[in-house]
Amino acid sequence: MEEPGLEGRLRRLEQIVSALEADDLELERALALFEEGVAHVRAAEQILAEAELRVEELLQGDRTRPLRSGDE
Amino acid sequence: MKADRKTLDLFGSSEELEPPIELETPESPPVHVRAEPRVWSVSEVNRSVREMLEDYLPPLWVAGEVANWTAHRSGHRYFTLKDDQAQIRCVMWRRDARQLPIDPENGMNVRVFGGLTLYEARGEYQLTVRQLEARDADGLWRLAFEKLRKKLDVEGLLDPRRKRALPRHPGTVGIVTSATGAALRDMLTVIRRRAPWTRVLVRSCRVQGEGAAVEVAEAIRVLSACGRADVLIVGRGGGSIEDLWAFNEEAVARAIAACSLPVISAVGHEIDVTIADLVADHRAPTPSAAAEVAVPDAVQLGELLETLPIRFARALRGAVERRGRRIADGGERLERAMRGRTVPTRQRVLRATEWMERALERQVGWRRQALRAAAGKLDALSPLATLGRGYAVALGEGGQVLRRTEEFPPGLRFRLRVMDGRVRCDALGPEPDEQS
Repeated sequence: MEEPGLEGRLRRLEQIVSALEADDLELERALALFEEGVAHVRAAEQILAEAELRVEELLQGDRTRPLRSGDE
Repeated sequence: MKADRKTLDLFGSSEELEPPIELETPESPPVHVRAEPRVWSVSEVNRSVREMLEDYLPPLWVAGEVANWTAHRSGHRYFTLKDDQAQIRCVMWRRDARQLPIDPENGMNVRVFGGLTLYEARGEYQLTVRQLEARDADGLWRLAFEKLRKKLDVEGLLDPRRKRALPRHPGTVGIVTSATGAALRDMLTVIRRRAPWTRVLVRSCRVQGEGAAVEVAEAIRVLSACGRADVLIVGRGGGSIEDLWAFNEEAVARAIAACSLPVISAVGHEIDVTIADLVADHRAPTPSAAAEVAVPDAVQLGELLETLPIRFARALRGAVERRGRRIADGGERLERAMRGRTVPTRQRVLRATEWMERALERQVGWRRQALRAAAGKLDALSPLATLGRGYAVALGEGGQVLRRTEEFPPGLRFRLRVMDGRVRCDALGPEPDEQS
């Protein structure tokens, strides 16, 4: 299965925060959400750590090739 | 007799017949003989006139009002240009008419550039128009814009409710623009600064000139269909209304409306509004602004992500505390219920109470273990954990935390929880002179 992207992770984190901060959560469930949340935070930070912008050009037949950004 | 332009001197010949020539002979009186005048054919006359018009009169600008505008199936346009005293027939060939953003309306004041000529076959004097403009410079462009805008509005394509929300954290941004323009460079600079993890997929095309609209529309379609982008930016830098015209054409508008991705339109400068801007899901005043709105800001995101584990831990602590309270409440309530009964067999009640309390103890004990496990996990996972810094937690037989020296009589078996596990210990006892 594909790794969820940043958008997916952040959306799930929002859900976890709401669920955890609700007043009526069972402890076991809270623990599970806590663990899941921390995992998503780590994964999201990993994504954010990518510093190199990847630019590609879409060609005929859905092929791509890297594009020189030309702003050196 | 083949007419030669140089020798044909239509306007030089006299209308009058030559006077008769007198021939004298000895026997007879004078005889009058007429010489034949030059008589031209209709074709020769028309051709000559046409040649003279075209040769002697250079092309010129003529202003007037349009009437009887006809767009023929062939693509050629036929119309009359008139003022209040005279009119002239005009023709605009398809090749030249192609550049018109829209056909003018009858009654419109225009100026045309073209050459005077004669249509030989019918002997009709006419103006062959090569350029046509409305009297105010952008008139035809604005007319075309308004017509298309109304048409799309009626279809509901400009409805604000149609506009889709942009994804907040796109994985891939698609861009339709010229590969060589400054617009692409600016957008990449902004994306690199704000969200360098974003992938960018560019489909380049011409953004002005004849045929550009078709290329832009095709680029939008292709990016939409490849399924790899989460949002699309369509844009170009500033220019004249003619330069930007492709983004006012129906093909581009329809491609944007049909696009499966949300579209951000960024054409020209702030003051230029094109049809593409009106149909798109979001209009940005410049290409750079489009990039700003398309991607999130790394700094803000980073800050948010930093705060989340703290909020998690806080919420978890709350859940642990609530659980503790509930158990205590439950025990109290049970006690009260038991005391409230007034049954003769107090013994039986007492025994029942004891039994229930023991059961509750077992339950509570089990819950306490779960709590300890939870607390332990919290400690383990919390980014606030201080274990990593060398602090250790002493745990007694029942898993309770030992904090004070008096809790460590010599010989006490206890466990030390350090960063990566537990250590079995025997206490030697408190150190003397240690203040508690």
